[in-house]
Amino acid sequence: MVLRVVLVAACISLASPGLAQDRIQVVTTTTDLRSLTEAVGGDRVAVVSLAPANMDAEDYQPRPQDVLRLKNARLMVRVGLDYDLWVDRLLAQAGKPEISRGGPGYVDASFAIAVLELRGMSVGPGDGHAHGSGNPHYWLDPKNAEMITGTILEALARIDPDNAPRYEANRTAFLERLRARLAEWESKLAPLRAMPMVAFHNRWPYFARRFRLDFIGFIEIKPGVPPGPAHLAGIVRTMRERGARIVVREPQEPERDVAFVARSAGASIVTLAASVGALPDTGDYIALFDANVAALTLAAGLQ
Amino acid sequence: MTETLAFLLPAFLVAVCLVGIHVYFGIQVLTRQVIFVDLALAQIAALGATVAFMLGHSPQSPAAYGYSLGFTLGAAVLLAFTRFWATRVPQEALIGVIYVVAAAAAILLIDRAPQGAEHLKQILTGNILTSGWNEIAAIVPLYAAVGLLHWVLRRRLTASAGLFWEFVFYASFGVVVTSSVAIAGVLLVFSFLIVPAAIGVMFSSSPARQLAIGWITGTLVSAAGLAVSFAFDVPTGAAMVCTFGLALAIAGLLYPLLRGDRRKASRTALATARWCAAVLLAGAALQLALAPRADQPLLDALETAFPSLRSLYFSRSEAATFAEASETAERHRAAAERLNDLEKRNRTEGEALDDVSIGRISSFLKSYGEMRKGEQFVMNEVRARARERVRWGASLALLALALLAAPIGWRRRPM
Repeated sequence: MVLRVVLVAACISLASPGLAQDRIQVVTTTTDLRSLTEAVGGDRVAVVSLAPANMDAEDYQPRPQDVLRLKNARLMVRVGLDYDLWVDRLLAQAGKPEISRGGPGYVDASFAIAVLELRGMSVGPGDGHAHGSGNPHYWLDPKNAEMITGTILEALARIDPDNAPRYEANRTAFLERLRARLAEWESKLAPLRAMPMVAFHNRWPYFARRFRLDFIGFIEIKPGVPPGPAHLAGIVRTMRERGARIVVREPQEPERDVAFVARSAGASIVTLAASVGALPDTGDYIALFDANVAALTLAAGLQ
Repeated sequence: MTETLAFLLPAFLVAVCLVGIHVYFGIQVLTRQVIFVDLALAQIAALGATVAFMLGHSPQSPAAYGYSLGFTLGAAVLLAFTRFWATRVPQEALIGVIYVVAAAAAILLIDRAPQGAEHLKQILTGNILTSGWNEIAAIVPLYAAVGLLHWVLRRRLTASAGLFWEFVFYASFGVVVTSSVAIAGVLLVFSFLIVPAAIGVMFSSSPARQLAIGWITGTLVSAAGLAVSFAFDVPTGAAMVCTFGLALAIAGLLYPLLRGDRRKASRTALATARWCAAVLLAGAALQLALAPRADQPLLDALETAFPSLRSLYFSRSEAATFAEASETAERHRAAAERLNDLEKRNRTEGEALDDVSIGRISSFLKSYGEMRKGEQFVMNEVRARARERVRWGASLALLALALLAAPIGWRRRPM
């Protein structure tokens, strides 16, 4: 097994110099960061995301080849905020100081992001996400893409200074496109402002803040722990009292539990993607919001 | 309150249905000594659903159900054979292998499918709390049909039947398990299957009585589990499984009292309880003497239950420092919560906060978190120092208590 891994590594490293000259190899932990890195790097970068689009990147189980991917990478972009802790072990195994913490090719995309729902360092009681460092789903605010792409641009310019102007032009063009779309999304979601909604998991605070949506409760408060009866009854009661008509679910979340809550409260279910590629037609960062905005407006119009 | 109870009613009725059919199968499974066969069958059904999913069928479609059923029937053939193959290797070992291979094969398959892992998880982790009337309407006729089939074929479907009847047994069991696991999850279905049946087998040797005892205890314990889940607002399935475990433990403890030599049994029980207490106390004494700054599970638990115990060994200044730190920590927590609430309200109410304000809130929250951690450090330090101070005396006292608790013979032979 070890021998085979070494052989594969040798083959790839023999083959890679040619490739590396062409494009900068970048590894991201999630597909969202892959999409944003591609937006900045354009055709100068070849980006792979370690966690596939179709699963919760928080629970990703690394594969043997991931170490090889990191070994060949010149840039590593992660979500940070305790979201993709699994990449730390991979980085230690890859043993490349350039892309490890403190190296020029290490990017923590949460840098300078205004973090929501910070609850100190302790995973304490109270509702909310089990993240001591704040809610990590910050890419779901399109405005945050400015900061994220800024951090990525800085890193790309550091390791490939010759092409820095190109990266900057790419980013500016992308942000222009994004701003235009953002205005459109905001106007489309304006009728949903303060409309009470429930989600399965607290993954949407940044999205809610940007589009002024009101998530009044979550079915599963602690990831992986099924809700107790009083909590579930409370959610349904609040939904009835406040006339919540929408339950947001992601494709990987349990259909049965969400359907139960929706049925009990007389609401409809909207499936949204929290990551690029999690649903069909969410191939890149802008398409992700296009799809989510369309799904939400459709559900709100169905009432 | 009534709303919550309204939630629990379908869950309870589902539990009664599941108890009804699983106690019967449980007695059969115990007789055949194939305890984990339900896990293997559920896993095989999940593998079938995964294959269907890979081929593009949606998880709730008839096609997906067809694949599940096909795989389950295939597994039933395999399981029927294992009894005849298993001459030197126990059948349970082969069942275990079927289970792990089915689980691993499903993982390999879903590695290629979008959302596959989550779908597979959903097949095996039902939640009895979110059962609906539609599910009751689906399982009642199914279980009634299976029950009737087994009643009609009761002379054939014995543990010593031939290959074909063995197949019928496993096939019908597979059909039941596939539906029940999707509703209640693997852990709870296993409890429904084994615990009431085991209690029945423990207290009677006639099949009819075993079944009756199993049904009654299964229903009562399910109700108790639901009540626990309701009272403490904890996950229903897990609460029920633990209640079933407790019920089996109680039944196991009662058995020698009811069936054996009552005096001898109660003496043994008392001696065991006293030994447990003695070991616990001696362990706590040792831990306190050797590592006063480490966790003291027994003392910590007692202090959590009765905070006034601290006044026994805190000096006045220590008590004051501890109380002040605790208050300050709570104040920081409340302040952070207020900020979080403010930000949350502001998402939809009034003017939106700009990123600078959000950043400021975020850094305030970080500071509150750090300050709270600091206060918690002070509390721990004060307690550790107080414990260090009293460790020898307290350890000796605990040790003396341990000696008192231990049922050692010399105390009965004075002089």
